[in-house]
Amino acid sequence: MTNQASPVEEQEKLLDEALNVVKVQAFQMKRCLDKSKLMDALKHASTMLGELRTSLLSPKSYYELYMAITDELRHLELYLLEEFQKGRKVADLYELVQYAGNIVPRLYLLITVGLVYIKTNSNLRRDLLKDLVEMCRGVQHPLRGLFLRNYLLQCTRNVLPDTAEPAHDSEGTVKDAIDFVLMNFAEMNKLWVRMQHQGHSRDKERRERERSELRILVGTNLVRLSQLETAAVEDYTRLVLPSILEQVVSCRDAIAQEYLMECIIQVFPDEFHLASLSAFLKSCAELQPAVNIKNIVIALIERLASFSQRNEGNVNLSVVMEDGQEQSVQLFEVFSDQVAAITQVIHSIMLKDGWEQAVQLFEVFSDQVAAITQDGREQAVQLFEVFSDQVAAITQSRTDMPAEDMLSLQLALLKLAQRCHPEKLSYVDRVLAHTHFICNDIHTNSGKTHLQHNTPAFKELMKILLLPANHYEDILTLIKLKRYSPLIAHLDCSGRSSLAAAIAQRVLDTGTYIDTPQDVEAVLGMLDVLVKDQPDQPAEVDPDDFMEEQGLLARLIHHFKSDSPDQQYLILTTARSALQGGGARRVQHSLPPVLFHAYRLAFTYHQIRDQDEMWEKKCQKIFQFCHQTISMLVKAELAELPLRLYLQGALAISEIGFANHETIAYEFLSQAFSLYEDEISDSKAQLAAITLIIATFEQINCFGAENAEPMRTQCALAASKLLKKPDQSRAVALCAHLFWKGSKDSVEWPLNDANRALDCLKKGARVAQQCMDGAVQAQLLAELLGRYALLRERGNQAVNVPIINAVILKIREELANLEQSEEVEQITKHFHNTLQHLKNRIECPDADSLGYEGLVLS
Amino acid sequence: MSFFGFGQTADIEIVFDDADKRKVAEVKTEDGKKEKLLLYYDGETVSGRVNVTLRKPGSKLEHHGIKVELIGQIELFYDRGNHHEFISLVKELARPGDLLQHTSYPFEFANVEKPYEVYSGSNVRLRYLLRATIVRRLTDVIKEVDIAVHTLCSYPDVLNSIKMEVGIEDCLHIEFEYNKSKYHLKDVIVGKIYFLLVRIKIKHMEISIIKRETTGSGPNTFTENETVAKYEIMDGAPVRGESIPIRVFLAGYDLTPTMRDINNKFSVRYFLNLVLMDTEDRRYFKQQEVTLWRKSDKSRLPLHNPHLPQTLQHPTNPSIQARQQSAISEENQNRAVSPASTQNSLPPRSVSPPFPENSETHNGPSEMQQESPVEVTDKLANTHIEVHKEDKPVEKPQAVEKPQLAEKPAVAEKPQIAEKPVLTRPDSTEGSQGDQ
Repeated sequence: MTNQASPVEEQEKLLDEALNVVKVQAFQMKRCLDKSKLMDALKHASTMLGELRTSLLSPKSYYELYMAITDELRHLELYLLEEFQKGRKVADLYELVQYAGNIVPRLYLLITVGLVYIKTNSNLRRDLLKDLVEMCRGVQHPLRGLFLRNYLLQCTRNVLPDTAEPAHDSEGTVKDAIDFVLMNFAEMNKLWVRMQHQGHSRDKERRERERSELRILVGTNLVRLSQLETAAVEDYTRLVLPSILEQVVSCRDAIAQEYLMECIIQVFPDEFHLASLSAFLKSCAELQPAVNIKNIVIALIERLASFSQRNEGNVNLSVVMEDGQEQSVQLFEVFSDQVAAITQVIHSIMLKDGWEQAVQLFEVFSDQVAAITQDGREQAVQLFEVFSDQVAAITQSRTDMPAEDMLSLQLALLKLAQRCHPEKLSYVDRVLAHTHFICNDIHTNSGKTHLQHNTPAFKELMKILLLPANHYEDILTLIKLKRYSPLIAHLDCSGRSSLAAAIAQRVLDTGTYIDTPQDVEAVLGMLDVLVKDQPDQPAEVDPDDFMEEQGLLARLIHHFKSDSPDQQYLILTTARSALQGGGARRVQHSLPPVLFHAYRLAFTYHQIRDQDEMWEKKCQKIFQFCHQTISMLVKAELAELPLRLYLQGALAISEIGFANHETIAYEFLSQAFSLYEDEISDSKAQLAAITLIIATFEQINCFGAENAEPMRTQCALAASKLLKKPDQSRAVALCAHLFWKGSKDSVEWPLNDANRALDCLKKGARVAQQCMDGAVQAQLLAELLGRYALLRERGNQAVNVPIINAVILKIREELANLEQSEEVEQITKHFHNTLQHLKNRIECPDADSLGYEGLVLS
Repeated sequence: MSFFGFGQTADIEIVFDDADKRKVAEVKTEDGKKEKLLLYYDGETVSGRVNVTLRKPGSKLEHHGIKVELIGQIELFYDRGNHHEFISLVKELARPGDLLQHTSYPFEFANVEKPYEVYSGSNVRLRYLLRATIVRRLTDVIKEVDIAVHTLCSYPDVLNSIKMEVGIEDCLHIEFEYNKSKYHLKDVIVGKIYFLLVRIKIKHMEISIIKRETTGSGPNTFTENETVAKYEIMDGAPVRGESIPIRVFLAGYDLTPTMRDINNKFSVRYFLNLVLMDTEDRRYFKQQEVTLWRKSDKSRLPLHNPHLPQTLQHPTNPSIQARQQSAISEENQNRAVSPASTQNSLPPRSVSPPFPENSETHNGPSEMQQESPVEVTDKLANTHIEVHKEDKPVEKPQAVEKPQLAEKPAVAEKPQIAEKPVLTRPDSTEGSQGDQ
C-alpha cells in the first residue's frame, strides 16, 4: 500500500509547495501592481512562473499548478490592459519582459504582454501572433511546451483575426489565424507525440495514460480552427485539412492519429467533411497499422449518414421537396464517388497487414453502403463490381495473406452482394467461385484435401456457406448457385455434415417442396454427406448424431413432392438412384420414405384412373420400382424392415387392384414370407413377423385359391413351427383367421374353410394346454375363447357351442387351480369380460350371425 | 609657506562648458561603484574653466604656474606604479607669479582626438581625466576630474551573419545562425539553432555572453573571462529537424564595445557562447566571437518608437527559413535536397558566409572554420558527419575538445551574472525610459 501511495503523496507535497510559492508571489505581485510598481510586479510574476519550470510534477498536478498560475496572470493582464487603455503605456514592455533569463517564465510573460498589445492595438495583431507562436518553439519539453502553447491558444482565442478582408493589412485575416493555429497545432502535436518516446519502456502504460490525459490540449487547436467563422469550405479543404492531415500522418503515432482523426470528424461541420472526403480517406489509409481505422471510418460514415437523414427530415418538413431530393442524390453521388476511394483505403490497410481490421471495416462499409443505397439502387449497380474487382486484386496480389482473412473478405463481399443485389445471383456465384479458388490454393499449400475442422479458415468457409443457406427463403436458389455445391466439398466430413444438417433443417423450417427431378438430384448432391459414405469420414460416428442426420434426410425426402404424378415418379426414381449407394446404415432410413411416396403415388394414380388411361401400367411400374427398392434393402441384409415394406406394398396393391395385381401382391407377400423364413431367427421377431404376415394376408382379398392356398398353409405351418409353446399357440390360433374371414359386404369369402379354421383353434388350444405354467395356460385359453367367439360370430358353423363350453370349463378349472396374483386377476378379468360379451350376445342376438344357444356361462 | 597650515592655499574647481546640457555616462570606478561622468566623443572639444578659489582671500598665493592637462591613461592593476598615458595635453593657464584673488581661467582643448573608450575592467582601467595643477615650490595643488569618453562606430546596416554547422560526431549536430557578426550595444541578437542530429538528451540550451579581457603582453599576459549574461533559449530536448529561435536584447546587459589591442596594453572581446546542457549536466558549447560597437544614439532615436515592439524581425536568410518549412517532409530524405541557397549555385548547405573572407580577419575562429567551396562539394557527396571529421581540422578541435564537455570550463564557473538579466534594465545613458 505504502509503495503505491507514496508517489501520490509525493506529488501532492510537491504541488502544495509549488502552489504556496505561487500564492506568495501572486500576492506580492498584486501588491506591487496596486502601488503601480510594474517592474517589481513583473519580477514577482516571473518568479511565480518559474514554478512552471519543474520537471517533477505529473501532468495532472502540473495542470493544477498551471491553472493556479494562469489565474494569477489574469490580474497582471487586466492591470496592463487598464493602464494601456488609460493611455499610460509602458515603453518597451514587450522587450522588457524578454530580459527574463529563463525561457518558460519569459514566454508566459511575453504572451501575456503580447495579448495586451494586441487588444489595445489591433494593428500589431498579425505580427505579434506570428512572433508569439514562433518564439514558443524555444520550449521543447513536451509537458511544459504543451501547456505553454495551450496558454497561447487560450489567450488568443478571442483575438484571432476572423475576417476575410482585413480593415487594415497588418490586422491579419482569417488565413493568418489559420496559419497561427495550424502552426501551434503542429508543434503541440509533435511535443505530444514525443512524450511517447521519452523515458523507460516499462513506463509505457503510464505514459500512454498521461498522454491521453493531455490529448485535449492538442485537440483544442482543432476546436479553435472550427470556431473560425469566416473560414469557408474552400479554406478548409485547401489549407486546414491538408496541413492537419500531414501532421497526423507524418507523426506516425497511433494514439495521436486515432484521437486526431476522431477529433477532425467531430469538430468540423458536415459540409466540410463532404467536400473533403477523399482527402480524409486517403490519409486514413496512411495511418499506422495499430490505429483502429474501422472506428474512424465508421464514425465518419455515421456522421454523414445522420447528416443526410437530418437533411432529408428537414426537407420533408419544409415544402421544398425537390431540393431535398436533389441534395440527397448529390450526397449519394458523393458517396458512390467515394466508394472507390474507400476501397483504396481498405486495400492499403491490407497491404499493411491489418487484415482483420480491413475485413471488419469492409463489412461495416458494405453494410453502410447497402443501407444508403437502398433508395438509389440503380446507381449502386456498379458498387459490387468495384468491390469485387478490388478484392480479387488484393487476394491475388497478396499471396502471404492468411487464408482465413481472404475468406472473410469473401464473406464480406458475399454479404454485400446479397444485401445490395439480392436479385443478382451471378454476383454471389462469382464470390463463391473465387472462394473456390482460394480453397484450392489452401489445399495446394497445405497438402490436404479438406479444410480441417475448427481451423479459422474452416470457420470462415462455414460462414460463407451458411450465409446463402440462411439468406434465401428457397433452397432452390442455392441450387441455382452453380458454385455452391462444389464449395461444400472443401469442408471436412463433419463440417459437411453439420452444413447439410443446417440446410436440411432450413428446408424443413421453410416448408419448401422440391418438385423436379433435377432439383432433387442437385439437392441430394449438395447433401452428399448425408446420402453416401464419405471417403474421409471418421471411423466412429456417434450413433445418435447419425440417426438425427438420417432422420433429417428422411424428413427432407418427404419434401420431394410434385403435383404431377409423372413428375413425382421421376423424382422418386432420381431420389432412389441417388440414395441407393448409401449403404445399409443409410438406406434403411432413406428408402422407406421413398417407398411410401411411391405407394402414395400409386393411390394417386388409382384416384385419377379416369383421366389417365395408362394408370394400370404405371401402377405396375411403380410396384416394380418398389419391389426393386425393397430388394435393395434386402440386399443390405435387412430383414424386418423390408418385410414390413413388402407387406405394406402388398396391402396397397390389393387396395388398388390394377391388372395383374394378384400376381404382384402374391410376389410381395411371398417375398415377405421368404424373408421371414430366411432371415428372421429371433423368436419374438418371428412371432411379430408372422403375426404381421397373417394380418396382412387376412386383409388382402384379391387372391384366388391358387395363390391363397399355399400361402395360408405355409402360414399355418410356419406358425406351428414356432419355438415357444405360447407363441405357437397364439400364432396357430391366428391362422384360423386365414381360413375363415368375416364376410365383406355380405359376401362370404369363397375360400373359407370352416373345419380348418376350427382345427387351427383346436391346435392352438392343445398347444396351450401343453404349457406348464397354469397361468399361461389360462391366459392362452382366455385368448382362444375370444377367437372362438369371433369365428362363431363371423359365421363359422364349425365352432359350435359345446366346444366353446368346453373351453370355458377348462378355463374355469385352470383359474380355480391358480393362486391369487395380479396376473391371475388380469386373466380372470379378461375371461369375465369375454363371458360378459357372450352373455350380451345371448341376450340380444344378432339376427344374421350364429347364436350361442346352450352356452353355459356360469 | 604652507607648512604648519600657514600660508595661502587654494581650491581648484574645473567647470566644463555646457555641463548642464552635456550627456553623462555611468562609469565604474575602481572600487566597483558607478559614477556619472560627463560624456565626450572623439574629436570633441573639451573646454571649460578652471576656477581657483583662495582659502584666505586677501593674502597672495605664490605659484610657479597654473596649467591644465587632459590625460588619457591606461592603468594596469598589476603594475600600479606605471600609468601609460596615451594622451597628455597641457595648457598653460598662468605664468609663475602671485595670485591675489579668485581667478577663473578658461581653457579649451580643441578637437581632441580621443581614440579609446573609457573602460573599467578587472585588471585594467582606461580613463580620461582633466588635471588642473597649481605648481608650487613644495606641494602642488592638484584637481583631477574624470570624464567619460565613448567611441562611436558605424557599420553598414547590412552585415554578414554568422552561420555555422558544428557538432560532435554521431552525437550532436547543429547549425546556428546569428543575424550579424557585429552588434551595437542596444542591438538585438536574432538567430536560429537548427538541429541536424540529436543523440543526447538535452535539458536546456542557453546563450551566454562572455567578456574576455586580456592585459599585458608576452609572458605577462593575463586573461580574465567573465560571463556577462546567461540567457536560456530552449527548455527540454529537441529532436532532429527542430529549429529554435534566438532573440537576445543586448541593451539589458553591462557591455562595452569590443576593444582590440588598446595601445598594445589590453583587449576586451566578446563571445557568444552557445551552451547545451544534457540531462547529466554535461555541457556542450560553441563560442563565437562577436564585435560589439557603440552606435550613435541620434541615429537610433527617430526610428524607434518605444511603444512598438521593434524586434519582431527574424533572420531573413532564405536557406534557414526554407529549411524550416520543409523540415517535416525533408526529414527522411537525402540531405542533398535541401533548399537552394540564393547566394550562388553552390550547394546550399554551404556554411561559408557570403562575404569575402578578408573582411572578417579579426574574427579568428569563424574564419578558420569556414569551408572552401570545394570542400563543400565533397561534403555533399558523403554524409556530413564523417567529412566533418577529416576536412575541418580547425573546427574539429573545437567540437572534439571534449574535455571541455566533461568538466566545466572555467568560464562556466562564474555565474555572477546569471540572475542579473531578470527584467532589470539598468538606467541607460540615453534615458529613454524617462516616463516611468
